Amino acid sequence: MSTTIIFPAQPEQILKGLSKLWTSLGEEEKHQGRPTVLRACAMTLIVATDEADAGFSASQTISELMHEHPARGIVLAVSNEAENDLQARVLAQCWKPFGKAQQICCEQIEITAKPGSWQNAAPTLAGLTAADLPVIFWCRHHGALKKDASDTDKAGLDAIAKLATKLIIDTAGMDTADGIALITKWQGEGKLVADLEWTRLTPWREPLAHLFDNPARENTISAFHTLEIEHTEEKPSMQALYLAGWLSAPSKATVQFRRATGFGAGIQRVSFRSDSEAIEFERTSAHCVTLWSTNGRERKYTFEEESLTALLTEELAVAGYDQAFNSALERARQLIA
Amino acid sequence: MSVLVQPLTEPNPLQDSLRFARRVPPCAIVIFGASGDLSKRKLLPSLYRLFYERRISQNFAVIGSSRTPMSDDQFRERMKESVSKFLEDAPFDEDIWKSFAQCLFYVAGDLSEEDSYERLKTKLDAVEKSHQTAGNVLFYLSTQPSYYAEAIKKLGAHQLQKGNGWRRVIIEKPFGHDLESARKLNDDIHQVLDEGDVYRIDHYLGKETVQNILAFRFGNGIFEPLWNRRYVDNVQITAAESIGVEGRGGYYQEAGALRDMIQNHLSQVMATVAMEPPTVFDAANVRDERAKLLRAVRVVKPDDVAKYAVAGQYGPANVGGQNLPGFRQEPSVTPDAQTDTYAAVTFFIDNWRWADVPFYIRTGKRMPKRVTDIAIQFNAPPLGLFSQETKGGLREARPNLLVLRIQPEEGISLRFLSKSPGSGMRVRPVSMDFNYGSSFGERTPTAYETLLVDAMAGDATLYTRQDMVDASWQIVQPILDVWGNSKFDFPNYPAGTWGPKASDEMLARQGHVWRVP
Repeated sequence: MSTTIIFPAQPEQILKGLSKLWTSLGEEEKHQGRPTVLRACAMTLIVATDEADAGFSASQTISELMHEHPARGIVLAVSNEAENDLQARVLAQCWKPFGKAQQICCEQIEITAKPGSWQNAAPTLAGLTAADLPVIFWCRHHGALKKDASDTDKAGLDAIAKLATKLIIDTAGMDTADGIALITKWQGEGKLVADLEWTRLTPWREPLAHLFDNPARENTISAFHTLEIEHTEEKPSMQALYLAGWLSAPSKATVQFRRATGFGAGIQRVSFRSDSEAIEFERTSAHCVTLWSTNGRERKYTFEEESLTALLTEELAVAGYDQAFNSALERARQLIA
Repeated sequence: MSVLVQPLTEPNPLQDSLRFARRVPPCAIVIFGASGDLSKRKLLPSLYRLFYERRISQNFAVIGSSRTPMSDDQFRERMKESVSKFLEDAPFDEDIWKSFAQCLFYVAGDLSEEDSYERLKTKLDAVEKSHQTAGNVLFYLSTQPSYYAEAIKKLGAHQLQKGNGWRRVIIEKPFGHDLESARKLNDDIHQVLDEGDVYRIDHYLGKETVQNILAFRFGNGIFEPLWNRRYVDNVQITAAESIGVEGRGGYYQEAGALRDMIQNHLSQVMATVAMEPPTVFDAANVRDERAKLLRAVRVVKPDDVAKYAVAGQYGPANVGGQNLPGFRQEPSVTPDAQTDTYAAVTFFIDNWRWADVPFYIRTGKRMPKRVTDIAIQFNAPPLGLFSQETKGGLREARPNLLVLRIQPEEGISLRFLSKSPGSGMRVRPVSMDFNYGSSFGERTPTAYETLLVDAMAGDATLYTRQDMVDASWQIVQPILDVWGNSKFDFPNYPAGTWGPKASDEMLARQGHVWRVP
């Protein structure tokens, strides 16, 4: 359900639009004589994007996320095609859980901005955040994340970042030094920062970590001195650096990266060695990874390249300081130094 | 009593509690009754799911045991069929199954034969080496209850109750069929095992929404001050099923609703709703409070049973165009069966918090719908300032109702009065809803997944302890005794209704009515 364009995009006008939307949804309840709509909101999720689809794919991802993380979603699409400097429309993302009579609805606000105006969006956004709930900012504005971003883009990004409790970026494809520098800058400003390249590693990290849970195992992690990571990119990606940082930090193991081909893109194989044991964890088919150790047995795990929705679902569930990420980042900094 | 949650001895620097599943130590699980229904429908699908989601240790093995002669491979093949058939809300993955199947083993044997335990011991030793299970063993008694005592005695006789690691035993309900047999069973168990190693499973306590009662009560500051006799008028706990006995007529005829539901599941739910806050959230403290609450429940005198308890049995009816048989027409049920397929009881809790507040519990089969919920009915405001006419013209005497929904639409709703829009001060009840599924869209683990992981991790919070079982039998035993010596004029409610008239009358005597869930 959507409403007409709101211009100028002032917070009061947009909130009025949302209020009208709920009144119209309530009409249905009145006719049916029972509650038919449930409003759900656990956070404000702001997405800024400069992608060519004018926010379409961002909106799509938000609507998928709503099922697990109900939110007031705000998509800020920066586009040359925008009709006005800043304009908005409001809509409700509704779905009916299987077998349930009641619809669940979340609010979504779509704001379009001309490239020169997006640094003015922050005051509007400030008036639209849901009260007393966390504000998460997922930055898909690639231009603003670049090292050589324009002043306008930098100003826009900084103004929105100030509103946020947590910032989420995706450094896939970015220069690793630039990525680390950007995250370090924000962390220095006291922000919680997450990188989806780190989130992509959970299916690799969890089985490896569990290997060292067994108190009866012969070799503790401190005995592993050599780590080799095979990846498909020309240079080690942020993902490979994070994994190396995380796995090598406890033992300060020597790290080597190697380019290889395999199943899909990204990390293909992790090899971790001590004097008496070798652990190999590798992609053995498009949908499977296999973990084996010279001292143990083989175990297979399902492996899917996670969708953006799945990655964000995991990341939005992490509300506080991420110790493991920060340790891995610190070690990654040392590795590229 | 043993340690409540056994920590893994060495900290693992790679652990990430923000993102990884809870750590579970290596162990072997021995399932007695492995070819039975519970194993096929619940236990193996739950274990596979835990394996699939990486929630159990890589050093893990399952040893199934039952009388049916089978090889390891035959057992794996059978379990594969069951898991793929009964896996709830999750995909079956062939590759993962192959890995999981390498952890499955089988030992054929009769629980009464000594040789079976020796073969089991040999297999456990082998698995401990091959799968590095660190000597930890979780025995699961998924057998006929009459075998519990003997199986545990023989575990002791063959020294299987101790080893290199920890040893724990999960016991399925029923824990006895009356107070005397429950006490005898406990005595038999304690000949071999410490109470801390005994995990009596009540799958109701493993349900997410039952656990959420504790979070709701003790994680918030605004409800607990109202949670007492000053503000609560009555509490109603309903566990209704729309189905009949579904081929279990023979078993059910011996059990009945009071034994099957109220003695265990619903009395534990009542204890969770009414217990005092524990000083620390751990198994010992939570279970102490539950046990204390159950001990405070007033034991009804035989002469008062008719006043505070109602038995019912469904008769035939046509529901939605379908002719449904009465209980006595069900297969394997005798034509003059005196079984209670419906039971309603008024309990009073004699402590400072709840004195004189009735807790009404009802459960039944062939009711209009499947629903389990707990309704806290708050007192009316001291002065009725507003015209409280609802649509149906009924006066809403006590507008504030908090409903904790266990199933099927898990959640919490709070009803209160609000002014209707327009002129005049007309009020109507509105409901503020929290929907568990919509606020947390992720897949909810089944009760068996939760409870199995807890047992492996040594967390007994959601398991019942001997004194809790004893106390819950004590409160239902006088009712069972009186009903056992009575001849009821059954059936007394048609299928598809909310139970016998006598149940309504029981509440009416206290000035209350059953709510319609």
